[in-house]
Amino acid sequence: MKLAIFQPVTIILLAFLLLVVSVPTVAQRSTDWPRESPPPPLPAKEATFPHYEIRNLDNGLQVVLVKHHEQPAVNLRLMIGAGSASDPEGKSGVAALTGQLLAQGTTDLGATEIAEKVDAVGGVLDVGAGTELSFVNVLVMTDSFEFGIDFVGDIARNPSFTQAEIDRQRQQVLSGLRVSYDDPGYLAGVVFGRLVYGEHPYGMPPNGTPESVQQITRDDLQAFHNAYYAPNNALLAVVGDIDVDEAFLEVERVFGDWAQKAMPAVREMEMLQPAHRVVVVDKPGSLQTAIRVGHVALPRVSPDYQAFDVAIKILGGEGGNRLGSVLRTERSLTYSASADFVSRRFGGDFMGKTETRSAATAEVLRLMVDEVARLRGERVSPRELENAQAYLAGSFPLAIETPNAIAAQVLESLLYGLDLDDLPRYPNRINQLTVNDIQQVTQMHLQPESLSIVLVGEASAFLSDLQAAGFKDVEVMSIEDLDLESVDF
Amino acid sequence: MFPSRLRTGRWLSRILVLTAVLIGLSAVPTIAQTGVRPAALDYQLYTLDNGLTVILSEDHSTPIVHLQLVYHVGSKNERPGRTGFAHLFEHMMFKGSHNVRSDSHLSLISQVGGDGNGYTTEDTTTFLETVPAQYLPLVLWLEADRMATLRIDERTFEAEREVVKEERRWRYEDTPFGLLTELMYDQAYSVHPYKHSAIGSMEDLEAASVEDVQEFYDMYYVPENATLVLVGDFETPRALALVKQYFDRVQKARRPVPRDIEREPTQTEERRVTLTQSQNWPLPTVLVAHHITYDGHPDAYPLHIAAKVLSDGQSSRIYRRLVYENQLAVSAFGNGSLIEDPNLFYAVSVVQPGRTTTDSEKALIGELDRLKTELISEQELQQAKNQFARDYVFGRLTVEQKASHLAHAAVIHDDVTTVDAEFDVFMSVSREDVRRVAQTYFTKENRLILTILPQASVGRSFLRSGGSQ
Repeated sequence: MKLAIFQPVTIILLAFLLLVVSVPTVAQRSTDWPRESPPPPLPAKEATFPHYEIRNLDNGLQVVLVKHHEQPAVNLRLMIGAGSASDPEGKSGVAALTGQLLAQGTTDLGATEIAEKVDAVGGVLDVGAGTELSFVNVLVMTDSFEFGIDFVGDIARNPSFTQAEIDRQRQQVLSGLRVSYDDPGYLAGVVFGRLVYGEHPYGMPPNGTPESVQQITRDDLQAFHNAYYAPNNALLAVVGDIDVDEAFLEVERVFGDWAQKAMPAVREMEMLQPAHRVVVVDKPGSLQTAIRVGHVALPRVSPDYQAFDVAIKILGGEGGNRLGSVLRTERSLTYSASADFVSRRFGGDFMGKTETRSAATAEVLRLMVDEVARLRGERVSPRELENAQAYLAGSFPLAIETPNAIAAQVLESLLYGLDLDDLPRYPNRINQLTVNDIQQVTQMHLQPESLSIVLVGEASAFLSDLQAAGFKDVEVMSIEDLDLESVDF
Repeated sequence: MFPSRLRTGRWLSRILVLTAVLIGLSAVPTIAQTGVRPAALDYQLYTLDNGLTVILSEDHSTPIVHLQLVYHVGSKNERPGRTGFAHLFEHMMFKGSHNVRSDSHLSLISQVGGDGNGYTTEDTTTFLETVPAQYLPLVLWLEADRMATLRIDERTFEAEREVVKEERRWRYEDTPFGLLTELMYDQAYSVHPYKHSAIGSMEDLEAASVEDVQEFYDMYYVPENATLVLVGDFETPRALALVKQYFDRVQKARRPVPRDIEREPTQTEERRVTLTQSQNWPLPTVLVAHHITYDGHPDAYPLHIAAKVLSDGQSSRIYRRLVYENQLAVSAFGNGSLIEDPNLFYAVSVVQPGRTTTDSEKALIGELDRLKTELISEQELQQAKNQFARDYVFGRLTVEQKASHLAHAAVIHDDVTTVDAEFDVFMSVSREDVRRVAQTYFTKENRLILTILPQASVGRSFLRSGGSQ
């Protein structure tokens, strides 16, 4: 068990704070310690984006190969370009359940045999779905590479979807949701999704709801698989201790006869315009309130993506984090505060998040909303932008340490059709941004008057404070009445 | 500096696979032993005059360097009435020192593109930074500054205590099953400080004072109680010179570091406890826990293998029996917690709606008992070893992971060579070893059976009915 001082994913990096240096009440141990400034760096070493190859099969499968011999292991990652955003209407959870069922039986192997085979070689099998992709990941040691690639091929291409396994996995999902509905962070996230995206498939809970999961049939899973699992809608990364040519021959052997399919028309839906709403999900007995604040934002391919991403990092990400400074460092109101910008094919959202003791809910919400308004209303200081740039550009060598991290960047570029030549240019692209660029995108894309706000916690502890803090028209829902599928949520 | 993998290993393993296939035709299927073996870590070990242990390991694969500074003090060193203090103290280490302003430690690191963090366990407190290689002097300077001259003041201390209280609420109290291990350890131990969690109680956090901070700092944050590990893109002589430049000037401790931790008396009769949780406990949960030995004891290795047989992968015994075949549990697993002092081997079942805690309890005990009465199969043993090899390989991909293994070997085993030597120990574990340790530890008088029930739930009716089989 370990307790980190900062949440590992969003390490809070605190901007220079001109705090008054307090006088130590206790004498330091080493009295003759010199007064010094931080030492200068050693000569810099160049970090270049490591070599990778992209090769295509005739059937359209794009293959990313990254050779990295340090450890005797290979990671195989097959990505299918459809996820929960392609769930049929009223049937949230189809993509996720389809992904889960892949590991529960193929035409040749039962669920038990699949588990035995991958465990026997000390491998790891991971299947599932996200919003815009589904995946089959297999980790094996080098001497099981051939097994691994055959295994990925069989699992992705030949699922059996037996009724018994569907029922078993459905039960797991339902029980899992039951636990999730007791989790303030989960509830806040799914309610925020519905507020921000409305009926757009991006806003539906990816694992479905207790109602929708019960509606899913074997035909739904089979239909999803038939429609989307195809080489011309897939990417395969082969990463690690491989010989590129040998590995590609193996890919051809396993996937060469996978037939192309005509992809269903993409359901392209307009993003909602941001609209101000404050929704409280009452969870009696909570000690804290989970707070989420944000609205829709740009698609991944937008020319403003990079500048907006840096703006949100100044608000609450690595290299900046005003929310962390205001809520944690200056006021001790939370353990963790951050903001994220998630961007997909047709749009995205930005979201500020924190958890605070119930009594401080209204105060914290006011501070968060004010920070969003300040990001739009005031130019960021050159110092703040420099610090964010220094982190984002400077951490480039950390981001290319493992073959998987390299492959992930290449896969993201391919998935969204971005320019691969931009990968090695990342530090330059970051460093070119100016204070004006940041101001331009925040003025164009932030609407502090139209924020979606979700509060999950003990409503009675803070409802009256919300009024006083300037939040009117607060809607209160109980967990029992929460209908995440309702059209006019 | 990683020697390239031995190519012969690959062919040898192919032959082994082939042999296995051939044997498989005439007999029960056999699992081949993987031929891979992770490259040994290449490192140098030093001790400075002030007692600081230094481990340097060159790795030129990426131009970055990772620093890990491990203080041999954790929540088990806390005195009664001060639970959670080691972790609270860790937070204070980010609050400034002679040359570093409060909260600027991490911003100095982020401004060079680096990441930093700290964490506290029962046994150790670790501070870590990964930075582009040229910033090695900066991270050494920062760590030396706070080892020697931490700034401690009342106002900062009180403010940070509030942050830690929020952390406790968020991570443990308001999260489903967040208090699972805290409740288990509290029931399983009587006097050893593993009885309390690293986060500590609200009451004790409230009772801590700034005088405690100074005392703890003087007692434990001294060079001879610390191990500094560097892994990354540097030349060892140059790195050592820098380490000495910044750390030689840290004074030696004035007194020995206390190591008096109360021993847990042997449990002599079975303990059965049922608790009810009013919040954040969505489903009934059964835990079966046995007191075991410490990390590094010869029995520890077969216990790790036993945990893999019970719980690693969907073909493992507990998953297959409780989750897959009988659907008694939403989630079930077993874990051997092998740390510095004797800890617990525990098996957990989160009960599937419509099923009983009694069925889960019987099934968990049944699986633990089976390890005592039957030898695990050759296939299971080999599978567990292959899984162990995988953990070894995938657990050493980054400079941070490598440094963690080196630090663990040096601090907890007090023998850095175990960082590579343990691989062979694991590979030589036999089926009889697994049965022997099961017979030693998985006895009735040595176990705790803890059942944790939700208070009558106010959850949605369809959620309740949607669960039954």
